[in-house]
Amino acid sequence: MNPFDIFYMGLRNLWRRKVRTFLTVLGVVIGTASIVVMVSIGIGMDENFKQQLEQMGSLNIIEVNNYGDWYDDMGGGMVVGGTGQGKKPVLDDKTVTLISKIKGVEGVLPMLSTYVKLVSNKYVSYARIIGTEVDMLEKFDFRMDEGRLIRREDVNAIIVGKYVPYDFYNPKVRSDYYGYRGGDEKPPIDIMNDRLELTFDMDYGERNQGGLGGGDNGQQNKRPSKLYKINCMGIIEESQDEKDYSIYMDITQLKKLVQDNNRHERNTGGSGSMGRDPHGSGQDQGYEEVKVRVADIDRVEEVQDKIKEMGFGTYSLADLRKSMQEYSRKIQTVLGSIGGISLFVAFLGITNTMVMSIYERTREIGVMKVLGCELGDIRGMFLFEAAIIGMLGGILGVGLSYGVSFILNRFAGGGAETFMPVSGESRISVIPPWLAIASIIFATIIGLMSGLYPARRAMKLSALDAIRTE
Amino acid sequence: MDTIIEIKDVSKIYKLGEERVVALNGVSFVIDKGEICCFLGTSGSGKSTLLNLMAGLEKPTRGQIKIKGINMEKLNERQLVLFRQRYIGFVFQSYNLLPTLTAMENVSMPLAFRGIPRNIRDKRARSLLEAVGLGTHLMHRPNQMSGGQQQRVGVARAFVGKPEIVFADEPTGNLDSKTTIEVMDIITGMARQNGQTLIIVTHDISIAEYADKIIHIKDGIIQSIEYTNGEEGGSLA
Repeated sequence: MNPFDIFYMGLRNLWRRKVRTFLTVLGVVIGTASIVVMVSIGIGMDENFKQQLEQMGSLNIIEVNNYGDWYDDMGGGMVVGGTGQGKKPVLDDKTVTLISKIKGVEGVLPMLSTYVKLVSNKYVSYARIIGTEVDMLEKFDFRMDEGRLIRREDVNAIIVGKYVPYDFYNPKVRSDYYGYRGGDEKPPIDIMNDRLELTFDMDYGERNQGGLGGGDNGQQNKRPSKLYKINCMGIIEESQDEKDYSIYMDITQLKKLVQDNNRHERNTGGSGSMGRDPHGSGQDQGYEEVKVRVADIDRVEEVQDKIKEMGFGTYSLADLRKSMQEYSRKIQTVLGSIGGISLFVAFLGITNTMVMSIYERTREIGVMKVLGCELGDIRGMFLFEAAIIGMLGGILGVGLSYGVSFILNRFAGGGAETFMPVSGESRISVIPPWLAIASIIFATIIGLMSGLYPARRAMKLSALDAIRTE
Repeated sequence: MDTIIEIKDVSKIYKLGEERVVALNGVSFVIDKGEICCFLGTSGSGKSTLLNLMAGLEKPTRGQIKIKGINMEKLNERQLVLFRQRYIGFVFQSYNLLPTLTAMENVSMPLAFRGIPRNIRDKRARSLLEAVGLGTHLMHRPNQMSGGQQQRVGVARAFVGKPEIVFADEPTGNLDSKTTIEVMDIITGMARQNGQTLIIVTHDISIAEYADKIIHIKDGIIQSIEYTNGEEGGSLA
């Protein structure tokens, strides 16, 4: 028999038993829908986790520091490894090159910071300025709110965090405050356009000069502070982390400024300035922090482990992500098995329907055998019927799932926050296309499987018994 | 004439619990190609068992069944199905049409089993239905037809594949005398027209009159073979 005829006969038979077919399909619909909805809740949860993590920062970025022994729970374990002999590993240019050669690393961003004072006309501000590789910034998720990123050719250019302009205050006004206080408050200066200077003299502009910084030689400290003109190229988009309060500059230019200032101080004989070569002289201390971007989010852990082996402390959101994934996987398993039970019941339903149908069709099957219908074709007919029930149930079940999913997201969004970590706008139930397709295929396979036993039985039916006239 | 069916010393014994029921006890005969042969006997005589054995629906306990030179008892189930598909047509007492299918689909079913494409099947089925006088009932389902009409569909189905042998098991058992004559005329007419071998099993002596050869069977033993063209076969013990 050609397959088309087998399908045709199968469809005929299903159509003949409309009510029973419908009820059996309904069983599969409910089974499929319950699995899909349960899994979709798990996926929704996963997505919410991911969103939350992304709000916290990029998942691809590993922060590397040399306080490895602080972070590492294993205590001394890490000092022994790698650089060995109790010596702290150094985050220098050599290390940066090493790290950038690890497979999967897309970029390395070294960071060196120093404290300075920013001056804009009558306003001043204490600030931490971070020297870094400016052309790497884009890769490390630096998005600009205003202006643009620093380019290589920019001279003494900075970009600043969202709250940096609020830190300016007028030292001549006793009651002036600083810092962002919320709302639509305007910062005291227009950092993008106002004249902006930088000094390493922390006492600059204060009414009571020397009172703060120079206990040792404060009184004679009347030398002129050296001011360096700088330009703010842009304001970084709010990220709710340290970026909001930091200032970034090209690392070589920052080093030059520091060296220049040291020379200036030596010449004027002063030493009270807090300005200094970051972390002493040269690079014997290395960078205080290096950020590493990994191209593939799934390799973050691997790269992180390698860096740890080198003896550095690392931190990334991947750590958090991993535990969140484990949590959601557990919940998905539980939810999935609840759905699985109803699909199993549907599976029994199909088998039952098909067995019943054999009893009803004993005679027909017998006649077909007598007239020369091959056994394989009889089996094919039953398997096809069972698979069709499964597939129909799968398709309708997925349709129902989309409906349930919509209702859940629409009306149950608020309530779910109490037992699941969902935030504001996020959806509880997410049905990605692969889930829909996989479910239909799965339901079809379930149908096929539940047809195996009845098909075998139909095949083995004795033709003679079937046609014997009562 | 060529021999198409050759039965040699065939016995069939059923076991019902502890009891042994002898349905056939050492039966031997031959049937020629194109012959219309009738097995006549009462219920329980073993005539239906004989038909089942010849159609390969059952295996004999003892003896040899040769059809077209093939030893039927040596074929496996798959081979038997293919054998029936190719060489054998069936007419049943209770018609045994598939209730979901139309008259045309019922008739073309044996061709579908052979994997013949639909358009060819439909053409064949239509011409056979027209030949049995049901040209107007092509799309009727079994439950929309009378017993006589259903049996004519059954006859068309048996002949549609041009089988060399057609078995008819009490083909008119459920019909009134008028339709019986109609149906028997059609069956024997078709068989003769195409030179097909027709084997009828019945208890009705009036049916036997259509046959070339009547084999009387009783208690699993052939009583006599009678040739309706006047020749009288000897009694076989």
